[in-house]
Amino acid sequence: MTTLHGFPQPTHWKGKELPRILSGLFQVENGHTLAVAKQHGVYGTIGPMLFDKSQLELIELVKDSGLRGRGGAGFPTGMKWSFVPRGTGKPVYLVINADEGEPGTFKDRLCMTRDPHLLIEGMIITGYALGVRTAYIYVRGEMLPQITRLNDAIKEAYDAGLLGENIGGSQYSLDIYVHRGAGAYICGEETGLINSLEGFKGQPRLKPPFPAVSGAFASPTVVNNVETIMAVPYILKHGAKGYRAFGTDKSPGSKLFSISGDIVKPGVYEVPLGMSYMEFFELCGGLKGELLGCIPGGSSAPVLSADETRKATLDYESLASLKSMLGSGAITPFNTTTDVPKFLQTIARFYAHESCGQCTPCREGTGYVDRVLDKVVDGQGRDGDIDLIKDLADSYEWTTICAFAPGAAWPVQSFIAKYREHFQRYIDKNPDHAAARDLVTQRPGAFW
Amino acid sequence: MADTITINVDGKDVQVPPRTQLIEALRGPANTETPAFCYHQDLKVAGNCRICLVETEGPRGWALGISCHLQTAPGLKVRTQVSSDKIVKLRKGVMEFLLVNHPLDCPICDKAGECTLQEHYMGQGKHESRLDDAVGKQYKGGADHRFLDSKGIERGGKKIDLGPSIVLDQERCIICTRCVRFMSDVAKSPQLDIAGRGDHAYLTTFPDEPLNHEYDLNTADICPVGALTGKHFRFQQRVWMLKSVESIDPSDSLGANLTIDYNNSGSEGGKVWRLMPRRNPDVNKSWIANRTRLLYQNLAVNRLTDGKKAGGDCTIEDATIAAVAALKGAKRVAIVASGHLTTEDNAAVLALAEALGGKAEVFGGSWLTVGKADGIALSGDPVANRKGVELLGIKDNLDELVAKAKDFDVLLVAGNDLWSASAEKAAKLEVIPTRIALSAWVDATVAKATIAIGIRAWAEVRGSMVNCNGRVQLLQACPVVPNSQLEAAWSVLTALSKAAAKPLTWASEVDAWKSAQARGSAFAGMTYRSIGPMGQQVALSTTTVQPVAAGV
Repeated sequence: MTTLHGFPQPTHWKGKELPRILSGLFQVENGHTLAVAKQHGVYGTIGPMLFDKSQLELIELVKDSGLRGRGGAGFPTGMKWSFVPRGTGKPVYLVINADEGEPGTFKDRLCMTRDPHLLIEGMIITGYALGVRTAYIYVRGEMLPQITRLNDAIKEAYDAGLLGENIGGSQYSLDIYVHRGAGAYICGEETGLINSLEGFKGQPRLKPPFPAVSGAFASPTVVNNVETIMAVPYILKHGAKGYRAFGTDKSPGSKLFSISGDIVKPGVYEVPLGMSYMEFFELCGGLKGELLGCIPGGSSAPVLSADETRKATLDYESLASLKSMLGSGAITPFNTTTDVPKFLQTIARFYAHESCGQCTPCREGTGYVDRVLDKVVDGQGRDGDIDLIKDLADSYEWTTICAFAPGAAWPVQSFIAKYREHFQRYIDKNPDHAAARDLVTQRPGAFW
Repeated sequence: MADTITINVDGKDVQVPPRTQLIEALRGPANTETPAFCYHQDLKVAGNCRICLVETEGPRGWALGISCHLQTAPGLKVRTQVSSDKIVKLRKGVMEFLLVNHPLDCPICDKAGECTLQEHYMGQGKHESRLDDAVGKQYKGGADHRFLDSKGIERGGKKIDLGPSIVLDQERCIICTRCVRFMSDVAKSPQLDIAGRGDHAYLTTFPDEPLNHEYDLNTADICPVGALTGKHFRFQQRVWMLKSVESIDPSDSLGANLTIDYNNSGSEGGKVWRLMPRRNPDVNKSWIANRTRLLYQNLAVNRLTDGKKAGGDCTIEDATIAAVAALKGAKRVAIVASGHLTTEDNAAVLALAEALGGKAEVFGGSWLTVGKADGIALSGDPVANRKGVELLGIKDNLDELVAKAKDFDVLLVAGNDLWSASAEKAAKLEVIPTRIALSAWVDATVAKATIAIGIRAWAEVRGSMVNCNGRVQLLQACPVVPNSQLEAAWSVLTALSKAAAKPLTWASEVDAWKSAQARGSAFAGMTYRSIGPMGQQVALSTTTVQPVAAGV
């Protein structure tokens, strides 16, 4: 494996040891092999430490740890597990969401490349806690090397008796299958993922019923992010208190952050939650140029202005108070040389391309916003275009089945709110900017 | 009212059925108009058009939801467009999105006048757009109106031949997936699907596969825009020029409910233009088979518009006189009833036999093959009124007639094409010297008859039939008739009763119905009004037929 950016990252920062809950093997040679992983303590929990505990104890443990979903929404993991009804007579499925697609996010990819066995260990623990017999890892189709690596790791685990019948000599059995997606962003939405897993078009389902009650194959299903599940073995080993030693009270533990953009050392870093953004930038070698703003948690998260970024800390609550979100932990600071409308255009094009096409507002709205932005950036913008796209984004923000549309609306709304003058400058470049557009009503044939 | 719960709509308490789609409660008991494109009563909920948005109160305050997916529950509080400006604004937004890539070519669209999109568009008074179609879906503006998909491949088009019965206009499609759901969930033959993503998604069949299902024309009915149109009705008539009467499928014993759409002005002097399914949740839901739908095409073809005697054409009056004379002089008359005619007509068969006294004997039945029910809108039995004939006490004994054919000197066949059903068996009836046929079409039986009298076809009479599940259903008369001299079978049979000592004196089909009621106890107490457009079930003890499932 080639060395990835951001590594080796410092083990200590300002005199304090940085957590290695998730990234312990990232810098270890051949850490993806079972032998090396075992040397470093992976699968240490698979034995009496796990099987002497009851399912409810494990769920309570994860609840107490305060672990929250790392895929983007930050839903408390223990609570999600507790929603699974017991004694329905149906199988319970565990599905690992490895369809990492949020622009700027590349942490799960690294996890699967460098430490697939920790994921498998987490899945065994989660599977045991929920009574799962069959689990799936749904991997984004483009991540072929990661899929190979996962399959190799799973084979090693089967050969070592860590998967399959009677894991580690216990009564518990678990099978894991890797399912390769076809590379659609929307398949990272849990019901879209389930549809795709079942062989249908990857389009989100109407809720209710929620997946915990009726998900994959109409059975109770828990969908968790790779990073979330990889934190579980540590919680089992060190207890909820051990996990809470890192992070803040409401956002405990550590998180992987993928940072790119105008930063000296982009890459994946594991830091405790609650660190300030500016300090984190420092840890990553510092910013390039003068900060103009920052996308704090993946392209869906509303952008923060420079002032807001200086106030923000890496936890769920701080960003919620700034009307943004920690999301998947993809941080993109940008400096004053950035062409903001082009930046938004890139984001808008992504969402127009990835809209699944199911709900009218998102299907038509994302495409339309993208094309108006194209006009603006091409120097053909007209007065009123800025308000128009803002208005259209407001229209599709909450009117759809899934959270894709709000995720597509927030960057548009926040960029326009915070960098309006950048867009106006583009529009002013058009000598005809005051002229009205040829509207639909003036087309022949449409005389209504 | 034990089965209702109270919900609050726009501040008013309304009694609604529990656990039903909120949209039904709004449209029904709450009397609040709610638009919908993807929602259809007889299809699974998809929830993709988003126009039926409402606000409901939940634990975290007022939240947006779609009324087609939300279910009614006690205490539910709803805000619709009546009390929420937010809903008005968001629905306008959705409508705007629906129209961005819709051509609004209503003047050349067959759906205009019965188009859901047009209805709501006009309803909102949104006659101006702030959206620029040059920023739309990159239609090239050529004659074929194609667009480039995300891979730069040309898609779409104004006239895509999907199969033998349906044409697709891609740019009108609003991706509501009603047709996709119909084909997969009702027809159980998923021949249609949406390909692509985002606003480059498009409706298509599978590569090199046509849309060719027995029920595919229903997709044109449920299409909320003019994207799918039936070839049989394309560019034929503007729908607002049509009038409708309610009737049922006369070619199958489920009796799928339908309307006959016709006009009786214009250069052709009146014409039936199409048959449309009429929703009846207990019979055929919203569906009819293509076979049923295209029956109207026979209404003006090969009709027996006059009479026939001694091999030559004559007027209906002359044929009737000849038939009366034959009946008068007959020693033994065999009268064959028909499950293809109404219960009223068959009551007239019985009444005529009664009037003729001991020399007449009534036979019934059919030699047509009975198929299997398809679970949608066909029972498989081509004898539509088999049950009605049975309830009148007429036996299924055609073979008995064949066995003793030589005992008779006059055969009267009322609307039962015996020679087409089985030429071999019917040939044995040719020993009867005088054969009188009453028929709407020039069929094989008319060819073998010595006297033939034209009658009105199913679309042109008022009467009733009993379907295979024992449901009495009405046929209403469409005024378009190939010859105004034609009468319904019961009326012709009444005229033939002049051969008897005491002729029948019926003035209308109501008299015929009263006669049927006197003969079939199952019809006791039923009037045309009580039967109504949705039909009325006969008491179950009198039915012995296995119920046929309707719809899904």
